[in-house]
Amino acid sequence: MTELAFLLSLTILAMLLLAGALAARRARLWRVGRAAKIDWAAGLLALPRRYLVDVHHIVGRDPYAARMHALAAGGLLGASALALLGVIPLLGGSRLFWWLTALAFAFAFAGGAMVGRRRLPVKPARLSGGRFQLLPFLLAAYTGGGFLVALDTALGGALYPLGWLGLACAVLGGLGLACQIERGPMRHAFAGAAHLVAHPRPGRFGGERATGLAPLDLDAPRLGAATIEDFAFNRLIGFDACIQCGRCEVACPAFAAGQPLNPKRLIQDLAASLQPGATNAAYAGSPYPNARPVAGIGGPGLPIVGAGAMIHPDTLWSCTTCRACVEECPMMIEHVDAILDLRRFQTLELGAVPARAAAPLMELRYADEPGGRALTSRTDFAAGLTLPLISAKGEAQVLLWLGEGAYDLRYGRTLRALITLLQKAKVDFAVLGEEERDCGDLARRLGDEATFQRLARANIETLSRYRFSRILTADPHALHALRNEYRDFGGAYEVVHHTAFLDELAAAGRLDLGALDAPRITYHDPCYLGRYNGEVDAPRRLLDRLGIERREMERSGKRSMCCGGGGGAPVSDIEGERRIPDIRMAQASATGAGIVAVACPQCSAMLEGVTGERPAVHDIAELVLMAVEKAGTTPARPAEALV
Amino acid sequence: MKIAVLLSAGRHPVSGRPAPVPVELQAIRLAVEIGRQFGGDVTGLHAGPELGPLTDALGHGLARLVHLHNEGESDPAPSLAAALAEGAYDLILAGRAGQGGEDSGLLPYTLARTLGLPIIADAAALALGEAPGTLGVEQALARGARRRLLVRLPALVTVHPAAPAPLPFAFAAARRGSSEARPGRHAPAPSPTVEERPYRPRPKLIAKAAAGSTALERLRAATEAASGGGRLLVDPAPEEAAREILAHLRALGLVTAR
Repeated sequence: MTELAFLLSLTILAMLLLAGALAARRARLWRVGRAAKIDWAAGLLALPRRYLVDVHHIVGRDPYAARMHALAAGGLLGASALALLGVIPLLGGSRLFWWLTALAFAFAFAGGAMVGRRRLPVKPARLSGGRFQLLPFLLAAYTGGGFLVALDTALGGALYPLGWLGLACAVLGGLGLACQIERGPMRHAFAGAAHLVAHPRPGRFGGERATGLAPLDLDAPRLGAATIEDFAFNRLIGFDACIQCGRCEVACPAFAAGQPLNPKRLIQDLAASLQPGATNAAYAGSPYPNARPVAGIGGPGLPIVGAGAMIHPDTLWSCTTCRACVEECPMMIEHVDAILDLRRFQTLELGAVPARAAAPLMELRYADEPGGRALTSRTDFAAGLTLPLISAKGEAQVLLWLGEGAYDLRYGRTLRALITLLQKAKVDFAVLGEEERDCGDLARRLGDEATFQRLARANIETLSRYRFSRILTADPHALHALRNEYRDFGGAYEVVHHTAFLDELAAAGRLDLGALDAPRITYHDPCYLGRYNGEVDAPRRLLDRLGIERREMERSGKRSMCCGGGGGAPVSDIEGERRIPDIRMAQASATGAGIVAVACPQCSAMLEGVTGERPAVHDIAELVLMAVEKAGTTPARPAEALV
Repeated sequence: MKIAVLLSAGRHPVSGRPAPVPVELQAIRLAVEIGRQFGGDVTGLHAGPELGPLTDALGHGLARLVHLHNEGESDPAPSLAAALAEGAYDLILAGRAGQGGEDSGLLPYTLARTLGLPIIADAAALALGEAPGTLGVEQALARGARRRLLVRLPALVTVHPAAPAPLPFAFAAARRGSSEARPGRHAPAPSPTVEERPYRPRPKLIAKAAAGSTALERLRAATEAASGGGRLLVDPAPEEAAREILAHLRALGLVTAR
């Protein structure tokens, strides 16, 4: 072992100590957060799997980034560990060992070069600058320098002057990297690992969708999050885990529409608020589009939301809760949960909801319906159809949950189609009629947890009086609430979406489907069905039974783009440059499809609201009914042939 | 400055469930905002058998709620009059009419007569008067017109639905707020001397144009009679239309002549 190699090992030791001290200082800040129940042992045991499988599954969507990260992170850790082990005489004396170390440094250098190539000469808009732009240089200095030292040692000191140069580079780069651990890009390494261990939704790693919101204790002294201390400490770790890769901002529909929301910036503002005397000045990524002016100051004990704080309220209310950011985040950060916690404080404590959202919340309180309409008129759309009431029958195989769409004239046509199909397939079904209240989704997404819980309890009480085996609904928002969020209040139901149900009926041969000679079709996944509940196959299977050519949009399935109708965004109505449904409809038009198939009343309303030349919008139920009506005129195809 | 807001036991017009009356929540907002300027405190007053969802008024910005407890069907006016006289309020706000009860809108007048206070109807906005002890009231008149009045306090003012929307409901504020129960004065409910009969929509009286006149003349006759004033222009040139609108607004005093 040469002198140089020994000095390199010492450098790495110094880096470790420095990084450890800085990381500990940062981690101490997490302790201001609220306590949370965490299964540490299970989390630690699951860490390798969570990292190597779940995280890399997301990172791998961008193959360049995946290779870059594997080389840079793997090389950096491997080479540093090897070089540190070099102080052990048995290893340090072996030339082969130093060849191996040099190879590891070379891998890391290649990774660093890939980092550089991605950022230089032109940095893509989604990546952050500032400290992040320094990263390729630090990586190159440290790994290049380390490579030279290791090579020199492997060659027995033959590169003598180069070796010293290498050591100088390695010291500069290495200590530079260690200094990035507290606030720079390297923070994601330790905070990310901690976040994977203490993740607030461990179910996400076990194959569950785990998308239901956690209920709020309405007797708590403070409702929702006003300051950074109001978040659980593992949420704070999540904010710190952000690597500012900007995948969330690319996926965010509000960002695309020019509304003042950028999920990356939001998480950075929250992470910055952890530091006493915080400002948002260090952030060097893309801003909130059309950002409303804020003071940009905060810290523990100071409010997060407000014109005099870090985040403008319009930013919170721009979110459609579509979870696209969460789906794209390689660090598995829960942006939507953070937004909901902040919204809950605004709504429940301050009453600071957007002007136009106050009225529907008030109607929900006194009429159980956001439009203030009579519950008896929910079934008006079905005039002329026989709609069996469960109060008359007492029990039914399938309980049809009509949802808010029933009041909408356009969506009434969809529900009529669905009911006609149920009757044709001789399904034993019934509706609640005037006993059905709003499911509370709108109230909950607007932060009004009190109204949601009241509605949930009232609905559960109503449902408990009747016997049925499944709840069928055409509204993915109601489906999500009934299936995943009523559980916390004692209502566990088997809930099926109408696309899955019609697919079952078709597979069982209970619906006679003819072939539609419609133009090409494309399917728009509702966020609350696809992303929230993972149901992306049944609607496609059903569409394929209709014999229409189906094309996928540029974003589809669990990575689909929102229509702009979720999270109370239509009632909050935050001004942007474009409308989200216009953007989505442009993606649909680009497929050359003549029909956009939808499966949600919100999507239906938002996409039908797009003006100009555009594909027709039809709910899948309407298309299936068309095919069933066709079956009488064209020879029916056997269902098995299509499965 | 002491402000009282009268709250009545309303019902939601569609669901029929007990609910606060929106215009009274608007009155709370006006009271809170004027109270902030004057540095006054706002008290809600309700006389009746129970508060029910009126406690939600505490979530709409009201700081204090006083419940004058009456048994069953009882006339709320004597209880309110006694509490208002005792409280020596500078400003008393009420909605222009209740919702879901008799909704006659007469209670404020009864109270004003009992207390000997001036009453101003249909306020859409309140502002500080220049002289101390005065209040500027913007009164909502028909067809969007407004009239500014200056009133010497104490006074009773009823609030019009054209006033700013209520402050949004804050659950935690309602949870924090407390209501104080006091015994009310029992007074028998006034026996209904009015005749009750089912509601029947009345046909609109439409002036008839002479038989055989053109469709345009019939339309003019119908709309001019119904609108009671103004001029009907059918398919005018945009410039002419704009001129007419401006002239009309000027006549109403909503646009200053230039």
